[in-house]
Amino acid sequence: MDDFLVIDRVSKSFGSLCAVDDVTLSVAQGEAFSLLGPSGCGKTTLLRMIAGFERPDSGRILVGGRDITALPPEQRPVNTVFQNYALFPHLSVWENVAFGLRMSRRPREEIRGGVDRMLELVRLAEHARKRPAQLSGGQKQRVAIARALVNRPLVLLLDEPLAALDLKLRQHMLVELNTIHEQVGTTFIYVTHDQGEAMSLSDRIAVMNAGKVEQVDSPERLYETPRSSFVATFIGDANFFTGTAVELQHEGYVRVMVEGLGSPLVLGNGVVSSNQTLKLMVRPEKISLTLQRPPSGERVNAFRGIVEDFAYFGPHTRYRVRAGEHLIIAQLQRSRFSGGEIDPARGTEVWMTFHPDEARVLKLEDVVS
Amino acid sequence: MKRSWFPALLTIGVIAFLFAPLVVLVANSFNASRFGGEWEGFTWAWYEKLWAADEVWESLMITLKIAFSASVASMLLGTLAAYALHRFRSWLQDVHSMLITLPLVMPDILMGMSLLALFVLTGVETGLLTIWIAHVTFCLSFVTMVVLGRLQDFDFTLIDAARDLGATRVQAVKKVLLPLLLPGVLAGGLLAFTLSVDDYVITFFVSGPGTTTLPLRVASMMKTSRSLPVINALSTLLIASTFVLAALSFRLQRRA
Amino acid sequence: MTADHQRSKQWLLTLPSLAWLGVFFVIPCVLVVITAFRPADLQGGIAEGWTWDNIHMLSDPSYVPVLLRTLWLSVATTLLCLALALPMAFQIARVGPRLRQFLLLLVVIPFLSNFLIRVFAWKSLLHPEGPLTKLLISLRLAPEDAILLNNSGPVLLVLVYTQLPFAILPLYAAAEKFDFGLLDAARDLGAGPWRAFSKVFVPGVRRGLISAAIMVLVCSLGQYVIPQMVGGASDEMLGSKIAQRAFADRNLPLASALAAALMLAALVPMLLAAAWQRFGRKEAAS
Repeated sequence: MDDFLVIDRVSKSFGSLCAVDDVTLSVAQGEAFSLLGPSGCGKTTLLRMIAGFERPDSGRILVGGRDITALPPEQRPVNTVFQNYALFPHLSVWENVAFGLRMSRRPREEIRGGVDRMLELVRLAEHARKRPAQLSGGQKQRVAIARALVNRPLVLLLDEPLAALDLKLRQHMLVELNTIHEQVGTTFIYVTHDQGEAMSLSDRIAVMNAGKVEQVDSPERLYETPRSSFVATFIGDANFFTGTAVELQHEGYVRVMVEGLGSPLVLGNGVVSSNQTLKLMVRPEKISLTLQRPPSGERVNAFRGIVEDFAYFGPHTRYRVRAGEHLIIAQLQRSRFSGGEIDPARGTEVWMTFHPDEARVLKLEDVVS
Repeated sequence: MKRSWFPALLTIGVIAFLFAPLVVLVANSFNASRFGGEWEGFTWAWYEKLWAADEVWESLMITLKIAFSASVASMLLGTLAAYALHRFRSWLQDVHSMLITLPLVMPDILMGMSLLALFVLTGVETGLLTIWIAHVTFCLSFVTMVVLGRLQDFDFTLIDAARDLGATRVQAVKKVLLPLLLPGVLAGGLLAFTLSVDDYVITFFVSGPGTTTLPLRVASMMKTSRSLPVINALSTLLIASTFVLAALSFRLQRRA
Repeated sequence: MTADHQRSKQWLLTLPSLAWLGVFFVIPCVLVVITAFRPADLQGGIAEGWTWDNIHMLSDPSYVPVLLRTLWLSVATTLLCLALALPMAFQIARVGPRLRQFLLLLVVIPFLSNFLIRVFAWKSLLHPEGPLTKLLISLRLAPEDAILLNNSGPVLLVLVYTQLPFAILPLYAAAEKFDFGLLDAARDLGAGPWRAFSKVFVPGVRRGLISAAIMVLVCSLGQYVIPQMVGGASDEMLGSKIAQRAFADRNLPLASALAAALMLAALVPMLLAAAWQRFGRKEAAS
């Protein structure tokens, strides 16, 4: 079902601060969906409204076709994995996981079976008698997940699931969360400020900013075709150029004149008219650097610049190249460097190239920063 | 960097100063000498005399009765007060907070005097009831402070989690808040119990004939120098039991 | 939950303790002040009518020295307690957590035993036939017939003894929050240990200092057991007078007048401290 979880024109303000501004979203059944954005963008408020801890000022929330907007949290078919896990310190792992089933007065056999199965799923069966204080961070999180999932909620909400974990554990949990999602098949909604997390975990992501949803798409489309400069910079890095469309070519290509850079050829994104002011975006890893001038051609955009600085990251190196007023960030995998065995040092003159298909056109009114 | 030894030395000195009289007292309770000036031999005599002093044990019973009922009452009132103070912010709580803190700084004699005035003017006879009322009044603030401290450390997302899992507000309070708050409430109750057993001045003002609590009994015993060594024995026992109660309270407060 | 529901819930939860304290704390205090203005009845009750007599009595030559003595003893006790508690709080806050807990426990334990017993312990310690006297005589620090009781010396000593924990605990609480790195910075800039202490630490724990001072001062003002037990006839404090008037003389109105005076004396430092706190906050904010 495509409209399994529906957020319908939901708004919420706290005093004069508008936290969520007329947001509409649809999540499909079984989907892994993320609300992604910086702090203060409204994602946590939205999550709390789905869970039932905040009431929307206007709008509705529907799950499986049923309007749950007026229901208190204990009556919603929704469960939450809290950011700080919120495990009951006075209960054992087993009793924590059993809590929800006990609240709904399930028969004892059912509770026992459900809890044991869930502990098997998260591989904590031998820790069942322990208290939360005796567990590590990763184990606590698995208990929190088990505690929520054992109730077979229609939607599972996860608030910043990886925020409290260190790097190695985070990578491990990413895999684990995906595995659990696949095995259980429940609709998962993640809330996070970390784009890497959102991209690894989700089928689709809603990027939020200042209470509004900027774009909802799959990770690939968000990365490759961001619709605003906010999304372009929030997910990945971007170089922006402003220019005027000077020549419209066939197959949708447009030649744009960018002051101080030249006239690159880019792929227009639809309706572009002559003399229109456009904003272009090129991702750093789409730009190649060479010492020699690349062979010219129709589909080759090449510009000169001087390396101002570079930073070595191990798997790749980032270069800051100056071309007139423009400071361009290029990111190269070391093996891809062509045209010379030596890395360019500061002050070296280089040629930057990118393919027209790799440049995105953003409408000027989307530009906010 | 050279650190001054002065604070450390002073601390040790003051702690010795704080303990010295009590140590002497305990030692003297076994001392055959009447005034404890010299050690005249080990003896249980004073404890035997104490055992035979019926009026002391009567006073103990009265004291325990009052202390127990006063702590229960102040635990109830104090927990409600602490919850209100923590949960709500309003002018009402500002007034409430001030009323709770004032008894903590008010000298005993003022509290005793004012309650006496109340009872005299309303024609209430002083006795067990008036002592109980007085004790609840000053214990209330202490219990509130202890429970408030626990509440402030309490992670309220646990309540959200309980509700998320299907508990109603009431169930969440019953199954999550109260069990975790209980050690704090009991610690407050124990503190109230100790304060009640100990109280002299306020009880002096509001007690009547036939309600001689233990501190009042001890005070009257101190007026007759014949009973001095027996008081040492009684004091030693009281010190020992206070320590036990304090240790219990401490343990309860530390439980995560 | 609607706002009304919230409001009624708040009142419901607040009412029990509020009502109890209102009836058994606020009203009695008011009654004391009122009773101060009523004449005494010959049978030890309160007669009808109003009078200034009791207030006038306060300026009676027999009371003034008592008032003054109460004041100076309380202030002296406060100063001594602070002088001892400051270095102690400093020390306790600097040591590791386990030792710290242990030290705090040591400070609190004697305090937990019965107040009367502690005073009594001093009384027997200072008794003419008691150990301390004998010790001092044998060390030739005191004459053969020295009596260590029944003067203001022991009163001050025992006052400090009983009030000391009240000074140490709030000062420790403030010292715990103090950033000891500031002292290192002061030393780095040339201040010796004493100056670092007095110019950086003491102002740094100002809040705790004020709480401690208030608690000790107000508590000492109301003391009467101590002067009664270890002091002499000329060492009476206001508290003893109140007790005498209330019980020995059965003169409640006069006792109330004295109590009201004490209330005032206790309120003044508290109000001053509150004003100082607010002033200090404004200063910090500007």
